[in-house]
Amino acid sequence: MDASYLDLLMAQQEEVAEAEGGGGGIWVVADLVDGGVAPVTLEAIGAARNLADSLGAYVYGVLLGDGVADLALALYQAGADGVRVADHPALASFAAETYLAVLADLFAAEQPEAVLFGATDMGQQLAARLAQRMGGGLIEHTVALSLDEATRALQASFPVYGGEYFEIAACPQARPQFLTVEPGAFAAPFIDPYRQGSPTMLDVTPLEPAVRRVGEADGFAPPPVPLNRARLIVAAGRQAGDFALVERLAAALGGQVAGDRGARDAGWIESGQVVDLRSATVAPDVYLAVGIRGDTFHNAAIEQARFILAIHPDPQAPIFEVADLGLEADPQQVLPLLLQALE
Amino acid sequence: MRVIVVLGHVLDPRGIAVNRRAGRVFINRREYILQPADRCALEAALRIKDEMPAEVVVLPRSPLPDDDVLRQALATGADRAVYLAGDGLAAADDAAMARLLAAAVERLGGADLILTGATTLDTGQGQLGLRLAEALGWPHVADAWALKTSDDRLEVVRQEGAGYAVLEAALPVMVTVAPGALEPRYPDGARLINIYRGQGEVAAALETWDAADLVDADALQPLLERRGQEFPPERERGVRASGGLEEMARSAADALRRQVRV
Repeated sequence: MDASYLDLLMAQQEEVAEAEGGGGGIWVVADLVDGGVAPVTLEAIGAARNLADSLGAYVYGVLLGDGVADLALALYQAGADGVRVADHPALASFAAETYLAVLADLFAAEQPEAVLFGATDMGQQLAARLAQRMGGGLIEHTVALSLDEATRALQASFPVYGGEYFEIAACPQARPQFLTVEPGAFAAPFIDPYRQGSPTMLDVTPLEPAVRRVGEADGFAPPPVPLNRARLIVAAGRQAGDFALVERLAAALGGQVAGDRGARDAGWIESGQVVDLRSATVAPDVYLAVGIRGDTFHNAAIEQARFILAIHPDPQAPIFEVADLGLEADPQQVLPLLLQALE
Repeated sequence: MRVIVVLGHVLDPRGIAVNRRAGRVFINRREYILQPADRCALEAALRIKDEMPAEVVVLPRSPLPDDDVLRQALATGADRAVYLAGDGLAAADDAAMARLLAAAVERLGGADLILTGATTLDTGQGQLGLRLAEALGWPHVADAWALKTSDDRLEVVRQEGAGYAVLEAALPVMVTVAPGALEPRYPDGARLINIYRGQGEVAAALETWDAADLVDADALQPLLERRGQEFPPERERGVRASGGLEEMARSAADALRRQVRV
């Protein structure tokens, strides 16, 4: 049997049939990035697929944009049973009023059980306003989902204090349940190239936007973030070797440059950038200690950091005891490789 | 011009310790601070007041056990604060608060601009401001970094990809302010003392409204239900990367990508 015949057979079998009359289902509103479907949307469809299979419900995707009808295939292949497309020049860029009107009309007719958005700029805004308009509950920045079979409610975990722990919440009564899904939190779904379907087009009535984009904010610079509130810190120590590499790494990661007392004595940083119990304690999401030996005062000052990566040539350096990941290497040799690997 | 600021409080993270092994949050010091993003929103309102004649009114974003944050806002420069109390209020979630606040805004006689924080420090939820905009039927601008007002228009700077863009809207509008957008000012010591002593006009600026006068009890029913907490696995410290230099660099890059989600 040749492959093309098999393809044909599979394609016939996998033609997705939609339920007549609709009703219920888990809906995913797609985010677009660079003319394609955003990874977070595919992840959300994957998560919705798992839940829908337990619930005995269908998964639907919604695409809004200009010239986006072709992207429907990506949603089908990721696991959607049906796709609705709103294709209109007025939807080319995110316009809250028109997007909301299209989605509110659609969901009023379809009565979804749950609606998932990506926790992106657009998804966060649409989810909150739609939830209020339709009387639904909303859980933002969901990182895990489970099912409460008694009430058919989705139980969602979201991070508290930046991920120190997670709160679990559910919306047992009101429907639809709105959720925004944190990018990268769910596994990318299996892409089934044999799945396909024909999307339904939606009517779009453009509304006059109340908020108008004037242009780029030339010359606007956000206020500097003090070290104790920085989210990512790249800190240098005596063994850092080449400070320019440390600065390049900070720029590549979008972090702030700091150091220990040794780095200050070497003249690399100002005294305001010293991380030390006697100067400033920090609590970033990520702390990179480059060539810092890590004395008691320094290590106590980074106690609140959520992830510590240490690079130091001496295997006995105390910094390794507090680090989540340690690299026993000369920073001067390993940093260029790290910069390369990050690109 | 009337500017309403919606603000809330949060347990000071420096006073809590999360024990992952025990699966518990230990509160060593029950001290509340203003939500950092709400504090930026208050600062934005006060900067408008510095520029032009404006009245700054403060409302709470969530049910508050006491009115400390409102007093703090008054001491910082707000003209008027309304504390919302009531029996059914304690359980209210963002959906219920949005309805209640919309009714409170109506009773205040409307406003030209409403400001609140774009996200909360603890739960990271940013829905209240947007829900309030929807309840009032106003347009919104989310995650503002800078504001400039004239009599009937507002210019807002917000992040757009890697850069920043200027948006323009007609008043009234609801704006959520990004945490860290502005360097907030501190409360005035003398005003703070007067408020707590109940002296002077600042003390008279704090009113208490009963939620039952604003909305029905049904409107305060929460939609969300807390179902517990979950703790990430305990941190395994002291792990060393293995292999040659390149392998180490790669595992470090992978770990960083997982953490930063670049």
